[in-house]
Amino acid sequence: MTHRAAIVGAGHTPFGSLDSGPRALVRSAVRGAFASVDRGAERRDVHEAFLATLGFGGHQIGNAAAALAEEAGLVGVPVTRVENACASGAFALRSAVASLSSGVSPLVLVTGVEKMTDVTNARRRYWLGVSGDTEWERSAGLTFAGVYALIASRYFAEHGDASEALAEVASKNHENGALNPNAHFHRKVTREEVRAAPRVARPLGLFDCCPVSDGAAALLLTTPELAHRFTDTPVYVDATGAGTDFLAVQERPELTRFRATHLAAHEAFRSAGWNRSDVSLLEVHDCFTIAELLALEDLGFVGPGEAAALTLSGATRRDGRLPVNPDGGLKAKGHPIGATGVSQVYEVFLQLRGQAGQRQVAHAEHALAHNVGGAGATAAVSLFSVG
Amino acid sequence: MRSVRRVVRVAAYFPAQSSDGRPVAARDEDAFTLAATAAERAWSGRREEPGPVLVHALGDFPEVVEWGFSALLGRETVVSRAPGSAVQLAKTLEELEKGEGGPAILVTAEFPERAPSMPPTKSSSSGAGAVAYLLAPTEEARPFHLGKPTAGRTALSATLHLVGSGDAGASGTVFVGDWDRPPESGGSGELKALGSEEAEDLHRVSEGAYIPRARYLENLPSRWRFLAETCEACHRTTFPSRRVCRHCGRADALTPVELPYEGGRVVAVTTVSAGGQPTEFDAQVAASGPYDVALVELARGMRVTLQVTDSTPGKLRVGDHVNTFLRRLYPMEGEWRYGRKAVPISTGGSTSRPGGVP
Repeated sequence: MTHRAAIVGAGHTPFGSLDSGPRALVRSAVRGAFASVDRGAERRDVHEAFLATLGFGGHQIGNAAAALAEEAGLVGVPVTRVENACASGAFALRSAVASLSSGVSPLVLVTGVEKMTDVTNARRRYWLGVSGDTEWERSAGLTFAGVYALIASRYFAEHGDASEALAEVASKNHENGALNPNAHFHRKVTREEVRAAPRVARPLGLFDCCPVSDGAAALLLTTPELAHRFTDTPVYVDATGAGTDFLAVQERPELTRFRATHLAAHEAFRSAGWNRSDVSLLEVHDCFTIAELLALEDLGFVGPGEAAALTLSGATRRDGRLPVNPDGGLKAKGHPIGATGVSQVYEVFLQLRGQAGQRQVAHAEHALAHNVGGAGATAAVSLFSVG
Repeated sequence: MRSVRRVVRVAAYFPAQSSDGRPVAARDEDAFTLAATAAERAWSGRREEPGPVLVHALGDFPEVVEWGFSALLGRETVVSRAPGSAVQLAKTLEELEKGEGGPAILVTAEFPERAPSMPPTKSSSSGAGAVAYLLAPTEEARPFHLGKPTAGRTALSATLHLVGSGDAGASGTVFVGDWDRPPESGGSGELKALGSEEAEDLHRVSEGAYIPRARYLENLPSRWRFLAETCEACHRTTFPSRRVCRHCGRADALTPVELPYEGGRVVAVTTVSAGGQPTEFDAQVAASGPYDVALVELARGMRVTLQVTDSTPGKLRVGDHVNTFLRRLYPMEGEWRYGRKAVPISTGGSTSRPGGVP
């Protein structure tokens, strides 16, 4: 099995409505990443860094890379900001893996951050809309909740009413989130509560939507050859696949399948030489509950329309045969846009090293992380292993 | 033989919303959208026809009519404006019949923003509505009988009288749209016109995730006329128009094609609740609550995302059929942005009246 890169350190701030600004969040996540390296890592070994952020609120929409250099103590080092909306984190990881293979830097830092709760409600809704199709979807009165609601509407029309499975996704992820000290929500919700909540965009209700959160996460990566200089238990990146699709769902032949995810998964599994059955846990992009069902189908774990039954069977629970989102997912852990893709890998880092505490998944050896931008216009899938 | 210009079609459009059995303008309508709907129905079947069109707009219209008909019809228009009186209507019709040249559309609309309580009768205009006369060169001499124009009467009411009395039968093809519930006597009208909140919104400047005016104008052919392109190289269609085939990437073999704006099928639908709307729609939601948005399949598998209007939110289902109408979308940077919205056929999106279709 070929390893493409090795993760030797990972840091994470709490997710939620926080007092800290974006710079403090970055500082904290980066400090955590350095502190987590078993044999220590020096900032002078980082010759390249990537910052994943949408720039929510617009206060540092340009040249945010310099802010990362300052807060990480890396002024002078080239930093590139990666922006693919909610998939920024996974695309930053992909860039880091490519950078490592070029030999430019023995250590590469990947940081994702978003500060979302310090703007007014109107500005927040404005910024939540900037990553969608503005010319057709937004002008018809849709935000992302509305676009995913259209997708859910179509999913129900094709495969039957899946409301109970959507409620199970929310309930399961809240249960997992309750065990994650960094999660935005620690409260469990029942399927009945999910189904009784007010609708945001029919058929999706309040508990079908992820929250608006602040937070940051950071990873330190090196080459597989150098990994043991830093730790005895590196987590290897075995593949990073990615894809794109039309921005507006009206231009796609199908609503209930994200072709970008399909392409990303195909590339990742092929290049790693893995089978779906090798995967012991998944971190998937559940910005809305329907997205978790789509992900399971698009990633190839079940066929079209089969994710609802799989979910209701309990297979995707933490103790099921295919645990999905043991950290609570975007749904309960929170979704600070640029941080999300990096945070998913933070969870993989803990799980594969057996450090996930109460939410530890048994026999976690091979993990998949799936990160989606907007309503599927961009997607990335990464595969990880230990040993 | 010398061609003469004759009235070949009359298309009327009255808002479907009605509090007491008479047409009442919806919040997203104005004199321009009423006239545009009548004009495009009058012009239907001629979308492929080349050449300019004369447009005479009689009535009190917003500035958008100066260029709006050109965007709507997809051709050069020569627009002239005049008051919307019956006398003016008769005079203009007479002039157009005498004149030579290509087709002309005479459109009149009433949007009684200032007089919402006109007493409605069958022969006098009430509430809001529009009529478009299509005049085209023909070798058949078919005089059009408007009747003697009465001073003080509006152009619209003269036409209502005409359509109501059956005189229109003598004029050639008559097509009356959206007049399922014709004006009746009695009752007073209620006009849901622009609220003060929205009027204020009109001058709010967007912060960035908005369509700059230049791009709005650039995209009107696709937004208003559903302009698509068929690629002669790979035989597939691209919508909205991108001036390049999205399937094979070729830009040298594209044939423009306008997709039908009627008879779309709902592929997916949602009801957006208060709080789930983009900020541009805040005033609308504050005034009229949740709205539906549908993904509609038009033809050739091409789909468009449309807000649904003139219907109770939450009723539209996947598989239902809709027609589309030009409406106000939202105010931005000092003007209304217009685009198509979907109207369920079962709740008033119908464009024909029994016996009215040729």
